[in-house]
Amino acid sequence: MQMTQLPPAPGFPFRQFARDAGYAAVLNVLCAILIMSVTGRPEDFFHNVVYSMCIGMIVLVIVNGTRLAIWGAHQRPRWPVFFTILVVAVPIAQFSGIALGGLLLGRTVTSATKSASQSMNSMLVFTLLAAGGALLFIVSRDRIVRAEAELALEKARAETINRQALQTQLRLLQAQVEPHMLFNTLANLQGLIVIDPARAQSMLDQLIVYLRATLTSSRLEDTTLAHEFALLDAYLGLMSVRMGQRIGHTLDLPPALADVKLPPMLLQPLVENAIVHGIEPNIDGGHVTISATQTGGTLELSVADTGRGLQAAPGRPGTGLGVSNTRERLRAVYGDRATLSLTPNTPHGALARLTLPLQTP
Amino acid sequence: MTIRALIAEDEPILAATLAATLTKLWPELEIVASSPNGIDAVAQALALRPDLLFLDIKMPGQSGLEAAEELAEKWDPALPFPEVVFVTAYDEYALAAFEQAAADYVLKPVNEARLGKTIERLRQRLANRSGDNGLAQLVAQMHALLPPAQPQERLTMIRALVGNQVRMIPVSDVVYFEALDKYVNVVTQEGEALIRVSLKELRPQLDDSVFWQVHRSTIVHIGSVASAARDDAGRLSLALRTRPEKLRVSPLYAHLFRQM
Repeated sequence: MQMTQLPPAPGFPFRQFARDAGYAAVLNVLCAILIMSVTGRPEDFFHNVVYSMCIGMIVLVIVNGTRLAIWGAHQRPRWPVFFTILVVAVPIAQFSGIALGGLLLGRTVTSATKSASQSMNSMLVFTLLAAGGALLFIVSRDRIVRAEAELALEKARAETINRQALQTQLRLLQAQVEPHMLFNTLANLQGLIVIDPARAQSMLDQLIVYLRATLTSSRLEDTTLAHEFALLDAYLGLMSVRMGQRIGHTLDLPPALADVKLPPMLLQPLVENAIVHGIEPNIDGGHVTISATQTGGTLELSVADTGRGLQAAPGRPGTGLGVSNTRERLRAVYGDRATLSLTPNTPHGALARLTLPLQTP
Repeated sequence: MTIRALIAEDEPILAATLAATLTKLWPELEIVASSPNGIDAVAQALALRPDLLFLDIKMPGQSGLEAAEELAEKWDPALPFPEVVFVTAYDEYALAAFEQAAADYVLKPVNEARLGKTIERLRQRLANRSGDNGLAQLVAQMHALLPPAQPQERLTMIRALVGNQVRMIPVSDVVYFEALDKYVNVVTQEGEALIRVSLKELRPQLDDSVFWQVHRSTIVHIGSVASAARDDAGRLSLALRTRPEKLRVSPLYAHLFRQM
């Protein structure tokens, strides 16, 4: 319900005004009871209610009507202006209310005014206090409603953001552990268990390393080169079992760079591209070389393959996101200080080169 | 009766596993060859003429679907066409397509109970087969399995390098396009010119109501076709109005030339 009041409907908030009139009516009856208990004349109760209603409603129409018309139900009124309106409205309401009440009760205006004139000053103060209190209540109630609605909206917003973050992470996970790769690996395991149980065991070990690395690294802020290379070794190990003689790989990580930090899964999509688009569709297969070098404060990582090269059609219809995703991640983390280039390798194949600021622990 | 089968699968362990599972469940089956890619699969199948083909979808060289298409074109029509079973790993889109085409397929990793059912169906079909049953069935399946060309911006002028000049050839002058390895040969009434593009890339840029694909490697301007006729071996060929050579029609596209 509160949510539906946001954003405020354009025009005068009539529903709000009617509800405030309800509060005012209750307050008017309470005022009449109060006056009756002060004067000690129960026979005047009905008259008191009529006069209270008239005065109270006129105050409400003038002050609350002006407030809602100027500031609306959701905006905090400017207090000096608001109180000025109140102070001006109370005497007007006092006199016209008494006149209206007298008219309704069949008294002449003059006699009604006369009968009330002795206590006019104290009644003015009383009306001012009652009306001021009532309007403060109404205005602050609006503010509480508004604050609650805003809180609910804020909560909904936060939930949406959380959900989106989760979905992004899930998509990232799916991109990493690609179902086609997983099922093909499992199919190989199924076969190896019968043909060569020892190799099946070692393939299973590599699958576990690969899954553990991909599934945990996606949650880590940073990883080390040693960790990233271990993951790639497991991945390439799995691909070697699957592709046999058609694939070879070399990993070259100087021990000095083992603890260098980098965002997780930065190289894996590039290695996967080299295999899926370069080596796997190539009848003669190919070799992947992954290396890390340091030049001054710059870390250079390269993934070179001897597959079909960049001008060949994609090995299979992929998301085409490997390179562009990596570029986006680099920009998010390093701004302009990181680069990724994709060039032909010699004599054939593709070469992906990454440079980023060296981050030692 | 021995059934002779060929397995085309690029992952050696998967090929060995499929062979072992098949011979265990189907003792009369003999695996006559195992091909590591789509090119070798076609060559081996043409040479060995097996009764049954297991074609992996994703293979180097060419895919299982492309291999089946090439085989349909090169197979001797006098001989019975083998039954084709596609082999695929998890791939949601492909599975839906196979179901729709009512094509036989084996999922990797192999489930023995499911493979048993496929074997039962294949046994029945091989026992009741007559004439070119297998080919007609494959042709129908391929129509459902081959992705349709996504229409792109129409090409109106072809720029072909001839010698050291770029010759401008209006598409409307073309009699046919012929795939030649990585090139396409553009044939007009006056002559020929090579362009460096594949037929697959060219096809969506042509108006398919005027330019008909009639073969894996041929797209013909249908207004240039004079007649279609079968030779003694039952193969369909097109005679052209303005050129002496005949164009072979693939069994996959023979339905385009049935009489009205």
